[in-house]
Amino acid sequence: MSIEVNDKFYAKSSDEAIAEAGEYGGAVTTLLKYLLKAGIVDAVLAVESGADLYDAVPILIEDPEDVIKASGSLHFGTLNLAKVVERYLDGAQDMKLAVTVKGCDAMTMVELMKRERVNADNVIMIGLNCGGTMPPVKGRQMMEDFYEVDPDSVVKEEIAKGKLIVETEDGTEKEIPIDDLEEEGFGRRTNCRRCEVNIPKMADLACGNWGVIGPLAGKATFIEVNSPKGAEVLEKAQEAGVIDLEAPIPKGIEIREKIDGAMVRLADKWQDKDWEDKTGREIFSVLSEYMDDFSRCLKCYGCREACPICYCDDCCLEANNGPDWLSKGEVPPSPMFHLERMLHMVESCTNCGQCEEVCPGEIPLAKIWHEVNAKIKDQFGYTKGVEEGKPPIAYFPFPQPASK
Amino acid sequence: MEIKYVPTICPYCGVGCGMNLVVKDDKVVGVEPWKRHPVNEGKLCPKGNFCYEIIHRDDRLTTPLIKENGEFREASWDEALDLVASKLKAYDPNEIGFFACARSPNENIYVNQKFARVVVGTQNIDHCARLCHGPTVAGLAASFGSGAMTNSYESFEHADLIFSIGANSLEAHPLVGRRLMRAKANGAYFIVADPRYTPTAKQSDQYVPFKTGTDVALMNAMMNVIISEGLEDKEFIEKRTKNYEELKELVSKYTPEMAAEITQVPADVIRDIAIKYAKADKAAIVYSLGITEHSHGVDNVQQTANLAMLTGNIGRLGTGVNPLRGQNNVQGACDMGALPSDYPGYQKVIDEDISERFTVTWECKDLVCTPGLKIPEMIDSAAKGDLKVLYITGEDPVISDPDTNHVEEALNNLDFFVVQDIFMTDTAKFADVVLPAACWAEQEGTFTNGERRVQLIRKAVDPPGEAKVDWEIYGELAKRMGANPEAFNYSSAQDIFEEVRTVTPQYAGMNRERLERPEALHWPCPTEEHPGTAMMHVEKFAHPDGLGIFSPLEEQGPKEVPDEEYPLLLTTTRILFHYHAAMTRRADTLDREVPTGYVEINTEDAEELGIINNEKVKVKSRRGEIEIPARVTPDILKGIVNIPMHFRECSANVLTNASAIDPRSGMPEYKACAVSIAKMEGSK
Repeated sequence: MSIEVNDKFYAKSSDEAIAEAGEYGGAVTTLLKYLLKAGIVDAVLAVESGADLYDAVPILIEDPEDVIKASGSLHFGTLNLAKVVERYLDGAQDMKLAVTVKGCDAMTMVELMKRERVNADNVIMIGLNCGGTMPPVKGRQMMEDFYEVDPDSVVKEEIAKGKLIVETEDGTEKEIPIDDLEEEGFGRRTNCRRCEVNIPKMADLACGNWGVIGPLAGKATFIEVNSPKGAEVLEKAQEAGVIDLEAPIPKGIEIREKIDGAMVRLADKWQDKDWEDKTGREIFSVLSEYMDDFSRCLKCYGCREACPICYCDDCCLEANNGPDWLSKGEVPPSPMFHLERMLHMVESCTNCGQCEEVCPGEIPLAKIWHEVNAKIKDQFGYTKGVEEGKPPIAYFPFPQPASK
Repeated sequence: MEIKYVPTICPYCGVGCGMNLVVKDDKVVGVEPWKRHPVNEGKLCPKGNFCYEIIHRDDRLTTPLIKENGEFREASWDEALDLVASKLKAYDPNEIGFFACARSPNENIYVNQKFARVVVGTQNIDHCARLCHGPTVAGLAASFGSGAMTNSYESFEHADLIFSIGANSLEAHPLVGRRLMRAKANGAYFIVADPRYTPTAKQSDQYVPFKTGTDVALMNAMMNVIISEGLEDKEFIEKRTKNYEELKELVSKYTPEMAAEITQVPADVIRDIAIKYAKADKAAIVYSLGITEHSHGVDNVQQTANLAMLTGNIGRLGTGVNPLRGQNNVQGACDMGALPSDYPGYQKVIDEDISERFTVTWECKDLVCTPGLKIPEMIDSAAKGDLKVLYITGEDPVISDPDTNHVEEALNNLDFFVVQDIFMTDTAKFADVVLPAACWAEQEGTFTNGERRVQLIRKAVDPPGEAKVDWEIYGELAKRMGANPEAFNYSSAQDIFEEVRTVTPQYAGMNRERLERPEALHWPCPTEEHPGTAMMHVEKFAHPDGLGIFSPLEEQGPKEVPDEEYPLLLTTTRILFHYHAAMTRRADTLDREVPTGYVEINTEDAEELGIINNEKVKVKSRRGEIEIPARVTPDILKGIVNIPMHFRECSANVLTNASAIDPRSGMPEYKACAVSIAKMEGSK
């Protein structure tokens, strides 16, 4: 069967055992395994659980038999894999790589590809729908305080129909509306709440469980093909007989769109709530609004270290070269530290939340930069993380001359 | 290609943050957040973020070195260890001293003190807690029966009020500073008492500048106010303490007015903070070297205990007496008995029964029941020529000990000097033999952080060249010195830890499985069923009768005070970007951030002396003189100057006073001595 961009399928592994054991038919596991076995990629970058299911660790898989280690969704996995690709895998310059990506991972990868820090030709992005992830330590506290279970007894967590469902090892399940948890300051990370990119359409394939209804409900993955590369991968996998594809039930497609729409509206609600229209998104208003927060900065460089867009070997923030516009060894550093970093990366800021998560000063960085990025979209018409356009502060948007 | 994330603990301060070391092709290439870690949730300070930068440096020690004709030459392990063993055998045990490494894992420290006691037969083993929280260990043991932080870091977030004295947490213990900020965001009232307007003070709700060395008077006056206002916790005092009447009588003399004269804190401010502290439902005290590094350090510590007992602020979340330990494993070094007066688990050397029990457990000759020498005593003794052999592991007294000239004189005077370290430090240069050691990223083991949490570290890469893990080195020496082969025949760090559990009651319940969890265990943890103790003294104190003891204390003040010849008071501190010297000054990012030292001098004082910012000046004390750039700032009290202690080329410790010692703990008075400052010759 010839597969085209925009095609949609219900997918599951042709292998009964994997279809049973894997989540929603083990489709993603099967694709990743296939890509390795067929030599289409040299390695797969995914996420596995470390100390326990609250501890997400990147895993670079070269042996197809190891793919199973990364199976299953990890709602406490809050990392941005784009950082790993750019920093530790040399931006995939010398290797063919498949990466499992949430919306934020995928958008950041696209921004890095535009800046030629990741080799787009060498990367296949297997997108995973994401409604948001949760911080691990706070998540454990949430289990104790709200679910009244020992966090170590939790074997599975799932977000469905606006509820966080938690299953413990004795088989019992408890569900609490995400809204209720988030009103109390628990639930998803604050940046995730504002995120509108639940279906990663910028990845080559977008995979999830929304919209799988009928006999395959719970047993198959909804796959949307977003690129020729994605189409080719799916076609080859099908030809190799490792994956079963069927047309989705039309009502299911509708349902998937409805859920996505609801999530986007929820994200917009959180954006309004978080930003409260206080700054009008103007840079100096933002600086003024958050000055007290910036004063808690310890110049740990954590935000810069964690941000995938901060890839410069010779960083303008460091006190080694250039004029003394950023005095050395000052705590807190001048507000210029943040403005300078902002100017360099904010157009590509995907609200992945890494900066805010690692800040010991508890500065709401993602909230601040996300708002400024929204302004860039208003002002320059540039949407981060999608194929079209180039970051408007780093590049002049000269239109291509019409071909003769 | 292999990328591995190795979860471990930071090698710098006593907060004990978790982190991932990223290993690629057998090299540590970066640090990534370990968000699962309960202490810091993936957040790090600049030291932690760049700790990987020192691991693979070219100047790591990789072979043993022997000094010949004033120069070091490479030697084989056999030659070096044979030499060291022969020297250790040739001298009387009383002539030999050991400094243990408070940055090394518990397993290494345990074997170090066992080697000193069992093989060499000396009780002369000590470590740098002597120079930082020795007063905490002594003071809180006397007041509460246990010399450690009473609560956990997380407990701070539950406080209604936090009283910080002698601590600059945002710089020195950043991820505890975060807890204080979170407490503040939760509504806690944050008071910071400090002679300097530090980054932490700048975040406070109330900053109380006060004169260095007047902590006892300040806290006595606070207690005076609390009692005269009737705000003391009568029930707590009645049920859980003794010696209250003695305390009440003494503090009655310390009216706010009287204390105002001494401390430079206005009387109404003293009243204000005392009443606020007493009225808060849950009030926590946090302190660090600002109060311990004094000739009356134990007194200062006991004052914090007095305040807490007076107001019933013990044994509940959001309360407690919370000293912030310095080194990543100084708590462990104390727990492991690297102390001249204590065996592992704070069991006393002078107790004959205990000494006998250890003699049996360790299957050795009778252990001496007399406490050995403390670090300052070992230095003095070496200078005099009584201590002849010194074996230092991972410690840099030329940087860290007071009166550098005296330290160098002492080291030069030794007959034989061994330094075991990861770099050629300023101290190692004086050695006769240098032994290359593995760093924290190159071994398995455990660190114990300041909240008594015992945490696993994990090996990320192999040590460079021929460098060995500390316990292996002591084991090799033990063999050469004819020790019982079974006593030092360990197969792994875990093997050592199992022995530690049998002799250290506080660690007894810590099996491997339980330590593998990121939460690990807080001691005391006496059995495998015991959940560990995040919060101490909940029902009773650790004294046999369960009662806390009030200690009435008079204000002594610093030993060496400013006079006409030396009119300024010198205090010494640490900054955020450096942890002492050997490691952070070799981390490129941190070195670039702060490449050298400075003397902070108050704006008015600078004007009087005609000194401008960044101008190089001479600072002189009775011990020595240095040249150092001036940092003119309003953020320090007039009459007080400050020099961070990290920089050998302008070393604070050339000036500090090694003869101002706390008699109850052996602590030198780093925080106060008298200096004069002058412009360089020929400058305008």
